[in-house]
Amino acid sequence: MDPPPEPVSYICGDCGMENTLKQGDVIQCRECGYRILYKKRTRRIVQYEAR
Amino acid sequence: MEGASYQRFPTVKIREMKDDYCKFELRDTDASMANALRRVMIAEVPTIAIDLVEIETNSSVLNDEFIAHRLGLIPLKSERAMSMRFSRDCDACDGDGQCEFCSVEFHLRARCIDEQTLEVTSKDLYSSDHTVVPVDFSQASGVESNEQRGIIIVKLRKGQELRLRAIARKGIGKDHAKWSPAATVTFMYEPEIHINEEMMDKLSLEEKKSWVASSPSKVFDINPDTQQVLIVDPEAYAYDEEVIKKAEAMGKPGLVEIYAKEDSFIFTVESTGAIKASQLLLNAIEILKQKLDAVRLSEDTVEADDQFGELGVHMRGG
Repeated sequence: MDPPPEPVSYICGDCGMENTLKQGDVIQCRECGYRILYKKRTRRIVQYEAR
Repeated sequence: MEGASYQRFPTVKIREMKDDYCKFELRDTDASMANALRRVMIAEVPTIAIDLVEIETNSSVLNDEFIAHRLGLIPLKSERAMSMRFSRDCDACDGDGQCEFCSVEFHLRARCIDEQTLEVTSKDLYSSDHTVVPVDFSQASGVESNEQRGIIIVKLRKGQELRLRAIARKGIGKDHAKWSPAATVTFMYEPEIHINEEMMDKLSLEEKKSWVASSPSKVFDINPDTQQVLIVDPEAYAYDEEVIKKAEAMGKPGLVEIYAKEDSFIFTVESTGAIKASQLLLNAIEILKQKLDAVRLSEDTVEADDQFGELGVHMRGG
């Protein structure tokens, strides 16, 4: 079996609060109830061709 | 025509030479040679440019791809390029293109900590090789700027950060224009202007003036003392034929005859700063010679077989 999915943290589009969401959670900020959340940038290095 | 030789010995006469600009005459050859030289200068003389960007952090307003593209376009000092290897045929690193023979590493770390906008420029790029660095225009440009400014990559607001590693590689303009060492390379046929003095003498001063003024570029002028029409700058002529049309309109066809000398060219070369304009010409000739070698040796492919692999490299611009 796959390991249980890790909770991912998102940033609220209104108050900027960090939220952690798991699969099936309601997409809503815990602080202000705003329904637009932004995913954070990966911590990994990303590679691009300079073309 | 058995035994006929078409061999010619072209000559080059340099008229003007600055680091990033060169003007010269190419004589005793034909347009095919002149155009081959021009095309090689633009698309086949190798330089070094950033080709791979690994972004650690980017909280600037420009997205990663945008920044990677901007980095690629920064001209880098490329005197080393002719002796460097193409990463695709470098055997020291099995083509992953990250060894000292075929690549140069750059690091950039910038973070804006105060209220003032921080300009991240090419001067913030740190090179692993002191011979391969972003070009510096600060001395060359006549404008006295109080601070040394490089090429702006991105502007950062307070709290924004950019951290990355970039790999620069050797390449040619044919693969991507970022590797082209030439800003512009142009050539023109040298014009040969003949004024029919007999006809010209019969014109009134007014007629001469209006004829001289009909040329969009300042090719002719009138001698204030003798009131004779004289040629001041034949090379300003843009083959527009305006003066010929004007002469016809005045009812004086044949007043002037202009020919293009088909074996004489005037070249103007502007470099991006990656290599000097003079070196660009020398490298272009070197590459042309290598390409001709490949053609010369290809007739007896069997005998020259073991050399052929190497020639393939030359054909690709090495």
